[in-house]
Amino acid sequence: MNYGITVAAILTLAIYSFLYKDNPFYKAAEHILLGVSVGYFVAVTVSTTLIPKLFIPIFSEGKLSYIIPGILGMVMFLRFSKKLSPYSRIPLSIIIGVGAGVSIPAMMQAQIIAQMKATMLPINSLSNIIIIVAVLSVLIYFYFSQPHKGAIGVGAKIGIYFLMIFFGSTFGYTVMARISLLIGRLQFLLGDWLGFID
Amino acid sequence: MGQNDKNKMGIQGRHFIFILMAIVVAAPLIFRVGLPLRVTAEVRQVYGFLDRLPPHSAVIFSFDHETSTLPEMVPLAEALLRHCFRKNLKVFGMALLAEGAAVGDDNLRRIGSEYDKKYGEDYLFWGFRPQFTTAILALGERIDHEFPSDYTGQDIRSFPVMEGIENYKDIAAVITVGDGDIPVYWVNYAQARYGVKIIPAVTAVMATTMYPFLQSGQLVGLAAGLKGAAEYEMLIGKPGRAVKGMDAQSGAHIFVIILILVGNTVMIAGRRRKGR
Amino acid sequence: MHRKLPLLICFALGTFMLVQFFVPHKASTALYEAILDWVQIIYAFSLLVGAMMLIKHHAVIASGRDAKERPFSILILMGITVMLVAGLFFGRGEGTVFHWLFQNVQAPMQATMFSLLSFFVASAAYRGFRARNSQAIFLLVAAIIVMLGRIPVGEIISSYIPKAADWILNVPSMAARRGIYIGIALGTIATSLRVILGIERTYLGGK
Repeated sequence: MNYGITVAAILTLAIYSFLYKDNPFYKAAEHILLGVSVGYFVAVTVSTTLIPKLFIPIFSEGKLSYIIPGILGMVMFLRFSKKLSPYSRIPLSIIIGVGAGVSIPAMMQAQIIAQMKATMLPINSLSNIIIIVAVLSVLIYFYFSQPHKGAIGVGAKIGIYFLMIFFGSTFGYTVMARISLLIGRLQFLLGDWLGFID
Repeated sequence: MGQNDKNKMGIQGRHFIFILMAIVVAAPLIFRVGLPLRVTAEVRQVYGFLDRLPPHSAVIFSFDHETSTLPEMVPLAEALLRHCFRKNLKVFGMALLAEGAAVGDDNLRRIGSEYDKKYGEDYLFWGFRPQFTTAILALGERIDHEFPSDYTGQDIRSFPVMEGIENYKDIAAVITVGDGDIPVYWVNYAQARYGVKIIPAVTAVMATTMYPFLQSGQLVGLAAGLKGAAEYEMLIGKPGRAVKGMDAQSGAHIFVIILILVGNTVMIAGRRRKGR
Repeated sequence: MHRKLPLLICFALGTFMLVQFFVPHKASTALYEAILDWVQIIYAFSLLVGAMMLIKHHAVIASGRDAKERPFSILILMGITVMLVAGLFFGRGEGTVFHWLFQNVQAPMQATMFSLLSFFVASAAYRGFRARNSQAIFLLVAAIIVMLGRIPVGEIISSYIPKAADWILNVPSMAARRGIYIGIALGTIATSLRVILGIERTYLGGK
């Protein structure tokens, strides 16, 4: 007998018991999940990132420059001190500064130039015309520096309709995704656990 | 009717929908019809691209998802991995979300063993890296610097599969199995900067956000959700759980559409009654 | 110092990473690689800070007197301890306690938790998905066509349904999403510039 599958099935049913109403079984399962997930996360982060990227370079390879990010990382823990917590912003500023610096060219290249280029289509089909009108009208909708009146108002209104089509298709796909998750769990319960299906 | 009675009624009604939903999904899983499946152009593009790669080309297989979406992610990863191994491609696994690490390691070893592939010779699992922007950029410089050791802690340079692999210039494609917007990060930082081919295998929820990049040619193709996995299973000629789940998917979609229509009919009927 | 130094670091690193993109000189590449490394190390620590906060919060409850919440906080702390000890000291590969717990406790529960949404989506479809105005009708029709067009039954009903779904996804829906992407990119660039120049300082905790 595979005890692992039985444990997984019992925990699965404990979570599904929430569909009836909130109950201690569900709550216990929910808290076990939270605990195990955090434990997993810390174990993986330390063993697969901090050990090879920080501890081995310093202690085995003698790369002393890595002491600096190590100390900066430790400074993050000053958040727990009332008096010294402002210093935890120093390592944070490194993450934010680097993030800001790399995002400018990336966004410009991948999401503005490439996307604009792909929108410059020949006006020889209804689909192409719709693409051009939709992109422009959605951009007008997100342009808040001028009141949405007159021509801008009309453009923004058209933009809303295209956004609704996008939200609708995303909703359709969301339904699909959620059902797929249920299919997966029922395949586990009916197949792996009970053996009704292969 | 008091407020409490109304709530009671609401809860009962909701439970009725829940039970119907469970039946609508479970019944087709037990009594399969085997409805015909259409393969979309987006999935075909992914298949065609991987199929045309010469043997021993290197692909990065990034498990950029959490366990919450496993029923969608695992069938997608399995189908794509089977294709990669069957084509004798070198597969390098990694994860940009922590939970993807254990899933990735497990999937690579399981599917690898189906095709008699050896760890370290035919495939390798690099492990997890936090902060995906910098991780993606760092792979563009030196892979062995970004991942000095594999998931098990062994020196990455000690594996024969790493021979000749320096950075993205040696990588034929990145397959990102993602349940969030990490595939977009791969486009922003790997495709735009280094010209890497990106193949997104995403949850259905994320599918619509991929189309702008698909149309602009920044993505090779798109395999989305359990349906995408089912289509891929069909293409590689190995129908699995995703294909088996498609009858249930159909039934549940029809059920949700019926609920929408009934809900709207009730609303319209209510309005008319009020109008009178 | 704790206010001026972060601003200075942000400016220096932000500018360097920006310039490095356009001038990827050999001399700057070593520093670029080092910075990418540093960020990942610091970020890993920041994730640990988050975990520590959660542990601290539940340690307080577990040692407190709230009999209702105490057992649940103890469960969380037990889960963290077991997984952490197993993962750090007894290996993570197949056949380990860590792997067993991940496969049979964490993964199935997390997946089940999200699958609950399928039931709530069905309930919401009946209660909330109403065509109250013309915009909602557009949303509703697009949703229904995509839902039908992406399943085998759609093809059986009519071959036009999958084609219509393909068209919606590749034309109006794609174009609307592209508009959003371009808008987000413009906003990100503006915010990034403000961060580098020290105009945007909310991350410092000030106004």
